[in-house]
Amino acid sequence: MKKRFLYIILLIALILVCGSCVSEKQYSDTPEGNFEQLWKIMDQKYCFFDYKKIDWDSVHNVYSKYITSDMDDNALFEVLGNMLGTLKDGHVNLYSTGNTARYWSWYENYPENFDENIKDRYLGTDYHMAGGIKYKILSDNIGYIYYGDFSESVSNGIINDMLSYLAICNGIIIDVRNNGGGLMTNSSTLASHFTDKKVLTSYVRHKTGTGHNDFSKPYAIYLDPSDGIRWQKKVIVLTNRHCFSATNDFVNNMHCLPSVTILGDKTGGGGGMPFTSELPNGWAVRYSASPYYDKDMNQIEFGIDPDIYVSLSTEDVSQGKDTLIETARNLLNK
Amino acid sequence: MNYDTFRTLILCIELLLPTVLSAQKLDSLRTNQLTVRCVQYGIGHSNILDTYLSTQEYKGIDFRTSRETMRMTNIGKGNVSVQNFLQADFSFGKNRVDNNNTLAGMVNWNYGLHYQFKLSDNFKLLAGGLGDTNLGFIYNLRNSNNPASLRAYINLDASAMAIWHFHIKKKAFVLRYQLNTPILGVMFSPEMGESYYEIFSLGHYSGTIKLTSLHNQPSLRQFLSLDIPIGQQQIRLTYLGDLQQSHVNNIKTHYYSNVFMVGFVKRLYKLSNKELQKLPTSIQAY
Repeated sequence: MKKRFLYIILLIALILVCGSCVSEKQYSDTPEGNFEQLWKIMDQKYCFFDYKKIDWDSVHNVYSKYITSDMDDNALFEVLGNMLGTLKDGHVNLYSTGNTARYWSWYENYPENFDENIKDRYLGTDYHMAGGIKYKILSDNIGYIYYGDFSESVSNGIINDMLSYLAICNGIIIDVRNNGGGLMTNSSTLASHFTDKKVLTSYVRHKTGTGHNDFSKPYAIYLDPSDGIRWQKKVIVLTNRHCFSATNDFVNNMHCLPSVTILGDKTGGGGGMPFTSELPNGWAVRYSASPYYDKDMNQIEFGIDPDIYVSLSTEDVSQGKDTLIETARNLLNK
Repeated sequence: MNYDTFRTLILCIELLLPTVLSAQKLDSLRTNQLTVRCVQYGIGHSNILDTYLSTQEYKGIDFRTSRETMRMTNIGKGNVSVQNFLQADFSFGKNRVDNNNTLAGMVNWNYGLHYQFKLSDNFKLLAGGLGDTNLGFIYNLRNSNNPASLRAYINLDASAMAIWHFHIKKKAFVLRYQLNTPILGVMFSPEMGESYYEIFSLGHYSGTIKLTSLHNQPSLRQFLSLDIPIGQQQIRLTYLGDLQQSHVNNIKTHYYSNVFMVGFVKRLYKLSNKELQKLPTSIQAY
């Protein structure tokens, strides 16, 4: 008996000897340490290196030359922000207590195709408002819905009430211009009211390892029809370059539905699910962790083309009209 | 109250033995009816890493409570004891520059058997196995789509214990050291870049349940406790080193806690119905 017990003790001791600490290298809180940590986080976890043809090792060589041990936080932030800028990704940010490094060229370099004041004139003052959605029936019996932020939640109950109210309309316009994203659950909840059957809308993969091409297999994503009201008449979704992230996902969902037309400008993109990590100095970094694709496995990181390109004309603006809304009304009334 | 329920009434041996069993010899006690129970509360230090949430370690305070019972069984000619250990803890940690926090909580239940090797009247070694169930979370207050990590895993642990009864100035003390380490188990873990939205909203569960063993979950729990008699009571002081680690799906985690705990030890004797019927109803609470 004592011998058996001795064997057990030896086994446990062996386990303790063999068992190693599970830990992550803790870089020093120095300019060099923070630079190396940021580069490593992106190297192991960012998901678009190959798609964007970015040589991240080369980026390290370029930007490490700007790192010195005596640089202050502002200078370090600028170098790290510039390094992240090479990724050309609106989901990549560096957050310090005093600044946010960002890449916003996906909409800053393009016409806005949206005027908040003109949009408000269409809504007037007697519009309905629930859960971040504003809506009203326009004079030609077209329903107009404006949803400017997918961070503001929308429930099936809200959508059912809205579609009941708009039931008499010939068609509806869903305006998601300048909607920079939010929760994908809101995107799919709203889209689910515009299909009466299960529809393949997209695929997703995620990183499974630290290599740039370590991805899972593509998983299909389906849009299930809502249990509530399902709109069967025509729908036009208005888009501009400021439609990003969850809004990009909403446009992708609606693009798969036969009664829906996308009108306006290309969306801004943002096809990667962003995750957060941090540096030794406490700065947070956000990065795209898993790529989403359309139903044909095309990347949507750089945006989705509309079915009909329409720009906001200066002539219409001068008359207080929105070219995209007017075009959509004409199409829905045909 | 029905007959079976009534049989399970547990009465404190410290109260009843003098009146009921004082005339009996010690060896007439059914040792499998004698349970040692201790409820403890503790505070300590925690060190939390979960690379799904952050590359940085979070260090802070750990609050913990535990409930442990041990008794002999009839198994192995009465040489096998059963241990039931339940603990819950809550940690609050901060990163090294103290500009972000992590909350963590775990519930852990161990239940298993030890064979007791009685090397002398006062000293014994125990070896056995435990079922080790864990459920908890780590929540990073700043993250966006990866704000929290669900910790859920079940293990079969190897367990060893040494118990030494000794006296100082005729007072009985008990020193105990126990070490548990998981040998085989299963663990829930998202894949490295997989969001919980993808798992729970889209239903992509593939690859989230992984087999674990020494190579990817080198963990251990160790207890060093001293039972000290104070008057009619017995106080237990415990150092608990709870070192949980995993490296699953390319996600590294560790949750180290070093906690000092204190509680009262109770010895409970479960009476059979026959013995209960010998008790005058006038002295029974119910």
